[in-house]
Amino acid sequence: MVIEVDRDRCEGFGFCEQAAPSVFELDENGELHVLVSEVPSADEPAATTAIHLCPVAALHSN
Amino acid sequence: MTTLESEVDLFAPENVADPFAVLDRLRELGPAVHLAQHDFWLLTRYDDVRRAAADWKTFSSAQGVALTPQFNEQLAGSVLATDPPEHDQLRAVLSEKLAPRGLAAIRAQVREYATRLVDELVARGHFDGVTDLAAVYPVNVVADLVGLPQEGRELLHPGADASFAAFGPWGPYVQQHLQILQSYHGWMAAMADRSRLAPGSWGEVVMAAVDDGQLTERAAHSTLGAYMTAGMDTTVNAIGALLQLFAEQPVVWETLKTDPALAGPAFEEILRLESPVQGFWRLTTADTEIDGIRVPAGSRVMLHWAAANRDPRHYPEPGTFDIRRNPLDHLSFGHGVHGCAGQALARLEAKTLIETLLARVERFELSGEVLRRGNPIVRGLQSLPLTAHR
Ligand code: HEM
Ligand code: SF4
Repeated sequence: MVIEVDRDRCEGFGFCEQAAPSVFELDENGELHVLVSEVPSADEPAATTAIHLCPVAALHSN
Repeated sequence: MTTLESEVDLFAPENVADPFAVLDRLRELGPAVHLAQHDFWLLTRYDDVRRAAADWKTFSSAQGVALTPQFNEQLAGSVLATDPPEHDQLRAVLSEKLAPRGLAAIRAQVREYATRLVDELVARGHFDGVTDLAAVYPVNVVADLVGLPQEGRELLHPGADASFAAFGPWGPYVQQHLQILQSYHGWMAAMADRSRLAPGSWGEVVMAAVDDGQLTERAAHSTLGAYMTAGMDTTVNAIGALLQLFAEQPVVWETLKTDPALAGPAFEEILRLESPVQGFWRLTTADTEIDGIRVPAGSRVMLHWAAANRDPRHYPEPGTFDIRRNPLDHLSFGHGVHGCAGQALARLEAKTLIETLLARVERFELSGEVLRRGNPIVRGLQSLPLTAHR
């Protein structure tokens, strides 16, 4: 699973970080970082929840 | 493929007073039901409403998100009633201030104001949870941020309430409030004169964006309108519902007293259960299919957030308030490109208020009759007489 962030949409709500802290991190400027180029299979359920929780649908996976 | 039709008037006073029974029936009838009264399609199931909200290309906001052409004309060009890319430019001006990174600057200000207001009310002991608290707190928070003068603020909440009602059918509620609607629009237009906005305020920033050529004059007005209308009545009703819950279900308040970290989850759950904005409309740009039901191009479709939030397919025992549910994926703020721009502020206001009350109130008690407003689009209370015991 690879995460794509639509940078124009992300407003830093941080739900993704709450759901999957090993995959997403917001820095102090509210900028989102995806910590892994490929989500380890153990983290996939959490990452899927994170994608679902983004209020502005800025996250996608393939 | 089939078409499903219903004669139910979703906006009849008895259905506005208690929308959930009729919504349950319509949700079971089928995924997309055409309502003959008012001529629109209704989506009620969580997955369908969410998918439609995310698919702005098929479910367009650009012809307005209200039911009637009269009101959609008034919304034209606003952040609510545009699609990308035009939408994104308007949204960027708002989110610069409203997104979490913009809000850090105002945390202390919100807390200070909540403390002042709550101290005064708790000292009084008896107060009205709606007219003295819910309808005062978010209105003044947003009005201070936008930089509005004190004079005329009493128009804001009734004006926003009437504006939201006008998203629905042109019925008795709207007609009774037309005068308020007019005074509100008059006052908002006057506020665009920037000499009346406080220096350094968000309102001034918006008007400065006109000078920089970032926004047209019209877009600036509708941006100020978005702050004022979208940011007030919604939060007022959410907070009113929360206070009603605290008075009617003391166990919820006791649970919060022992575990204040549940303040956030309590707010999410009341938003899910009450859905202050019941739903908005879209217009289909192409023939589409909702779980086997064909909806033709050019149809008005209502995305019913309140119905979706009580879909048993998604939330078990949907009619029950469960403080531990923490339903962060509820649709009370919409979803997708139009997902509420002010949701972080609404959460900040609510959490700050709950924490302020927790430190000062032992328990709440109802001290009179709870009155509901008959607004067909935003669900909320008119009056909530309370006693706060220290
Ligand atoms: C509990 C309180 C609130 C609720 C329930 C709520 C609900 C909503 C909903 C359902 C939408 C989506 C509209 C659509 O999809 O067509 C929305 C959009 C919006 N809300 Fe809120 N809102 C709340 C608080 C606020 C606050 C505090 C502000 C600003 C101060 C605000 C500003 C906006 C704006 C500007 C939009 C339009 C976003 C866009 O079209 O991109 N809201 N809100
Ligand atoms: S939840 Fe969505 S908007 Fe929020 S930080 Fe994550 S990607 Fe960005």
